[in-house]
Amino acid sequence: MTTQDAAAEAAGSGTTTDDGIVVRGVTRAFGAVQALAGVDLEARPGAVTALVGPNGSGKTTLLLVLAGLLTPDGGEVSVAGHDPVTAGPAARARTGWMPDAFGTWDSLTAREVLTTFADAYRLDRAPSRRRIDELLATVHLTEYADRPASVLSRGQKQRLGLARALVHDPQVLLLDEPASGLDPRSRVDLRQLLRRLADEGRTVLVSSHVLTELEEMSDDAVFLSRGRTVVPDTSHGVTSPGDGRRTFHVRALSLPALTAWLDAAGAAWRPDEPWTAPTTGPGGVLVEVNGDEGAAALIRDAVAGGVPLVSAAPAAGALERAYLTLEEERR
Amino acid sequence: MTTVELDEHPVAVPPAHPGHWHVTWHGVRTVAALELRQRVRSTRWVVALVAWFVVVGGLTLLISGALSAVDDGADRQRGALLFAAVTFLVLGLGLLVTPTLASTSINGDRAAGTLATLQVTLLTPAEIALGKVLAAWTASCAFLLASVPFLGFAAAVGPTPWWSVLRVVVLVAVLLAAVCGMGLGFSALVARPAGSTVLTFVTVAALVLGTPLLFGVTYPSVEQTESVQVRVQRTDDVTGNPTTCELTTQQRSVAHTERTWWLLALNPFVVMADGAGTSSSLDQAEARNDPLGVLREGVRLARTGASATIDECWGVDGGRVEPTADAPIWPWGLGVNLLLGAAGFVVAVRRLSLPQGKLARGTRVA
Ligand SMILES: Nc1ncnc2c1ncn2[C@@H]1O[C@H](COP(=O)(O)OP(=O)(O)O)[C@@H](O)[C@H]1O
Ligand SMILES: [Mg+2]
Repeated sequence: MTTQDAAAEAAGSGTTTDDGIVVRGVTRAFGAVQALAGVDLEARPGAVTALVGPNGSGKTTLLLVLAGLLTPDGGEVSVAGHDPVTAGPAARARTGWMPDAFGTWDSLTAREVLTTFADAYRLDRAPSRRRIDELLATVHLTEYADRPASVLSRGQKQRLGLARALVHDPQVLLLDEPASGLDPRSRVDLRQLLRRLADEGRTVLVSSHVLTELEEMSDDAVFLSRGRTVVPDTSHGVTSPGDGRRTFHVRALSLPALTAWLDAAGAAWRPDEPWTAPTTGPGGVLVEVNGDEGAAALIRDAVAGGVPLVSAAPAAGALERAYLTLEEERR
Repeated sequence: MTTVELDEHPVAVPPAHPGHWHVTWHGVRTVAALELRQRVRSTRWVVALVAWFVVVGGLTLLISGALSAVDDGADRQRGALLFAAVTFLVLGLGLLVTPTLASTSINGDRAAGTLATLQVTLLTPAEIALGKVLAAWTASCAFLLASVPFLGFAAAVGPTPWWSVLRVVVLVAVLLAAVCGMGLGFSALVARPAGSTVLTFVTVAALVLGTPLLFGVTYPSVEQTESVQVRVQRTDDVTGNPTTCELTTQQRSVAHTERTWWLLALNPFVVMADGAGTSSSLDQAEARNDPLGVLREGVRLARTGASATIDECWGVDGGRVEPTADAPIWPWGLGVNLLLGAAGFVVAVRRLSLPQGKLARGTRVA
């Protein structure tokens, strides 16, 4: 998991413009609301890029711009080598977009929905029939293929929406909160499917706030806050698995005893829930350790020092940490 | 996780001329088939069609029975009245039903979250709009088709020529197409489905009720006293019998309806009456009993207005000149209705065009 440096992106590598997504300085306002206030982003082919941000940070708006549905007020956009504004159909032919709430035609069966979209993308009938069968199998809806979409559950509809976005074999995939409403099994499936699609050389951009999910499936991450791409404060907390430093979540029966011991031992710590007031009872902190060996040493010394330890485990994902260090609040 | 080969498949090819107004039959059919499938499968639709059949059939029989009770005279007179009644019934009910078919097709889809997914495909805005109009129109034509037996029955009773049935069906179908276009336009303009349905109904009501009302309200303002030419008859001083006609100039109060006749022409019922062409094969006595013919003559006279000479030379054989008002009115009315429908269609295509700059207030794309 690496956090992209927006500035470095803006400099541009140029190699990804053909098949990937390049966004530079994109702005978009809805009346008085500045939904996008300068987004720089680069998603490369062959990778899953996570779009992370609190509610109202402009994720959906950005994906709408990329899908060619909204005109940006300013900035440059290139999707699979085409500008969605000036070359809309060419860009849309290569883009698969899945909205966060996929509505469906209640009276149509799942297969008919996909057939309609194959027709709408002007695909040849015969090969698209075969592909639709494959897609239904991929999203595990084969047994629902000929039932009206109105009987599908929310998660099943979500999977149908994913199949719909894939009907025309797009080079670029834009998924808005695809994991919401999915059961754990389907989430694993989704993760594997996205992995495979990326491995086939596609560009996959996923927005979500299920951060642990994103972390497991994404190669890059872009953070949005108040319509801007932001580089999270990585001075503490966000670490890459590679560099040996890890954050551990340590809990004890007595928070003061734990923090006192950590202070005495000279270990840097921070509260695990900075938004709540410190307690005198049980509680936990986040501690930076030097790999698993550092963690083992910490636990051994703390127990020896008489701290009533309850648990010590690797802290929640780096993405979540980064997310929480974003200065801006949700709106 | 089932592993499925996802390569080797059809590639979406954008059309060669991807303008917003580019239309292919494939694209229109795709949208229309989608809309019709979605509509026709709901049981509500079947219920509505059956209810329609029963209502039109029942009213036809009722009117027919009532007419034969009132006047057990000539079938031929009764027939003209019955045909007019059924024609107006079919048109009136069609104008009631059609606004609900088209007026939610865009904002309803937006609310259901299905519009944007369709827009991002390679369908052009014109194809989406045309497909939706076609579907709504086809549905309203199904209602029209269900009433053809009763129109046929009414024509069979009396002097109405068979081609009048054909003209009525075609005219109603075209008028309903125009209403579909207006409904589509409103559904593209207004965020809420209820709002666009109301606006479509208001427009139809303005055409049906508003135009004669306005004609009536403006009547006093076109009425004035002025010197006009009047053909009067000279009577023989001895016998008192009329002998010759003479042109005189008199002060008369006349209504210049030639300035306001177009208000009546916009009315779908006037378009029907004028376009049905029932009276042309009737003799004078029959024509007086044909409401369609009477309406048509009335509106044509209103169009002539006060521009012609007033003829009061009744007594002289062959002296009175029948007012000639042969120019048909229905092409004007139908044309304006179609223009309104076309305007709705153009609005819809513009609103469906991607990418969107301004959004209607209170709507999200997705
Ligand atoms: N159509 C719209 N009209 C007005 N404001 C909008 C519209 N769409 C989005 N916004 C506003 O823009 C901001 C970003 O919204 P969105 O992109 O949906 O955020 P996210 O998907 O990250 O939760 C929000 O403050 C939202 O209220
Ligand atoms: Mg969103």
